[in-house]
Amino acid sequence: MEATHLLPEVTWVGVLIKTVIILAIISALAGFGTFIERKVLAFMQRRLGPMHVGPYGLLQIAADGIKLFTKEDIIPQNANKLIFMVAPLITAATAFIALGAVPVFPDFTVPDFIPFIGGTFVPSIASDLNIGILFVLGMMASGLYGPLLAGMSQANKWGIIGAARTAIQFLSYEVITALAILAPVMLVGSLSFVDFNMYQSGGVSSWLIWQQPVAFILFLIAGFAETNRTPFDLLEHEAEVVSGYATEYSGMRWGMFFIGEYANMITISVIAAIVFLGGYDASSSIGWLTIMLKIAFFFFLMLWVRAAWPHVRPDQLMWFCWKVLMPIAVLNVLITAIIVLL
Amino acid sequence: MFENFITSLMTVEGFAFYLFSFLTIGLFSVTVMSKNILYSMTSLAAAMVLVSGFFFLLGADFLGVIQIIVYVGAVIALYAFAMMFFDATRDIKEKNTNSFVVFLLGGMSALVLVLMFAAPIHSNDIQALYPMTEGVGNAQDVGMVLFTKYLVPFEVAAVMLLVAMIAGIILAGKKMNHSITENMEIDNDAKDEIMIQKDKE
Amino acid sequence: MSLAQFKNRNVGSQSYVTLDVGKPPQGGWCKFKQVAKRTFKGELFVGLWVVFRNMLQALFKNDMHTVKYPLEKMPISPRYRAIHDMLRLLESGNYRCIGCGLCEKICISNCIAMDTRYDEEQRKEVSEYTINFGRCIFCGYCAEVCPELAIVHGPRYENASEQRAGFSFFEDMLTPIDKLNLQQEYDGFGAISPNADENIKKTPLAY
Repeated sequence: MEATHLLPEVTWVGVLIKTVIILAIISALAGFGTFIERKVLAFMQRRLGPMHVGPYGLLQIAADGIKLFTKEDIIPQNANKLIFMVAPLITAATAFIALGAVPVFPDFTVPDFIPFIGGTFVPSIASDLNIGILFVLGMMASGLYGPLLAGMSQANKWGIIGAARTAIQFLSYEVITALAILAPVMLVGSLSFVDFNMYQSGGVSSWLIWQQPVAFILFLIAGFAETNRTPFDLLEHEAEVVSGYATEYSGMRWGMFFIGEYANMITISVIAAIVFLGGYDASSSIGWLTIMLKIAFFFFLMLWVRAAWPHVRPDQLMWFCWKVLMPIAVLNVLITAIIVLL
Repeated sequence: MFENFITSLMTVEGFAFYLFSFLTIGLFSVTVMSKNILYSMTSLAAAMVLVSGFFFLLGADFLGVIQIIVYVGAVIALYAFAMMFFDATRDIKEKNTNSFVVFLLGGMSALVLVLMFAAPIHSNDIQALYPMTEGVGNAQDVGMVLFTKYLVPFEVAAVMLLVAMIAGIILAGKKMNHSITENMEIDNDAKDEIMIQKDKE
Repeated sequence: MSLAQFKNRNVGSQSYVTLDVGKPPQGGWCKFKQVAKRTFKGELFVGLWVVFRNMLQALFKNDMHTVKYPLEKMPISPRYRAIHDMLRLLESGNYRCIGCGLCEKICISNCIAMDTRYDEEQRKEVSEYTINFGRCIFCGYCAEVCPELAIVHGPRYENASEQRAGFSFFEDMLTPIDKLNLQQEYDGFGAISPNADENIKKTPLAY
């Protein structure tokens, strides 16, 4: 908390600018994420991936964006129209709200020559809550209402199966996320990202991953389930439930689900990097570069796992979460508590 | 009275309070009034999340987030039941035999609740029993109250939850040892018996 | 298997042979042991390494499977039966077809139509020769029966065109006289493809 006193005061203009930056950059990054995913999966299968639109297929994102925006927005006849239309917004909005409490980019002061907003201090966290981690996890959890409502409202059997899977997946992993993050929280004694960052400011050896390897692995597994990534992508696994909750969606509403998913991937990567891998070093630009690398590594890990591993059945996920991971998480919390008390 | 309302609306906090209030009340009334299960559930979830806005306004961030996390999970469980029992795309035909009794009971209990919570407003000396400590985080504040003054209720609640959990496990786990896929022979025998019985009929 | 077995539609009553996958773990302790063994065996990480190694090879050794089709084409096997080619004699440049009519006779889809006449030197000459590619099933009998190796299956497998007639005349199929030196001799149906050596891979057992 001491470090924040040295910084200039955060005004609401600064927060607004930060919000716009997050919205602009992360939604662009989400689009870029789809490109990276296609490329990485292609290389891992020794294909080329998108190649023809722009240099190395880079403009494929723009082509996809144009396609998504101009496609017809189909609403099925028997669907519950209002809920059907709102559901994708929930996923996208909660993903960005969650990012609001996460330190993503370095703080800076807007140069004076820019009219109106010159000299405004833009913080690294849009809203520096002292319970940041809980807020982010809670927001990401409420993001699952998107797939749930989408599946239930579309009057489609695959959709309802997708919605049911959303519910059981949520009820399975949420406990693990909370219990896994609880152990490092107990060590640090705070729920603020800034405190986590300060706790690990003593170089690589002070990273929490060395003290809490079990919690790290548990959090990573739960994070994969939270973002519907491959070992646990039950909600929309094409081989089983056509497209799950997204079966009836088209155009930009479908696109919003995926912007939300990729934004969530970034959020999980950021949390993992800050809580377990030392976070950022606010004093230098190299510190911010290293956290970018850490985030990029976790993002890559998600794609890597998707290329390598098969996915599990819903009953296996429940079994895994409740009978294996939860006891381990509880034991981890218990042992951490004993060590903290001693 | 009305001027007070206008002036409080001008401040950011006042505006946010009234916005959250109207939204919450509106969404909860949709929950009660709507005949479509999907509308009721969704407005319930949204209202529960919006209630957390009041906590954030009062500076109780921790409680606000807990409100979100707990009720998101709880309402998702409700959704699961709704999915099993209702067709989400159809309206529900209510069987209401005596709407007068329902109205009377509901209205009375609502009135009693409002009186209970509104009564202290008329007295002038409202003060926080456990004011927030400066420089200490929200979670610590809650923890201090919870583990000193309210330790016994907290523990009792924990024991009750444990009892409920064990009861749930026992209820659900009666046939846990019976695997459908691994005991195929038994199942086949049972099927044959059913077939024989059908033949006899 | 006898035919009766195939005609039995009562699914479940056939004598299936079940694969021996070992006994499933009995009891909680055995299941726990299985889970622990599978968890710490590190097989998951073998999977990760395999795809990562593939990515490294793809990126740094440029070992891609992708063929950018319209830009680059795979060499085609001599066994492939594409649009027919009419070959010429290398010495004189005359076409090899002697107008015997065997291909017309053997064609099972009746798509070859030919007409012959005597030219001024009293040699038989082909006056009309068309193949109706709307009917041709590319069975390859015409090439097989030809005594002079005149009609063969060429390498032109891109059959899409604006007009069907674009392929079907004798002149279209005949090797152009100025490209006589480029004319490929037909290897015959048993020949292996020119890049057969590259396509041979080790059986992927040892990863």
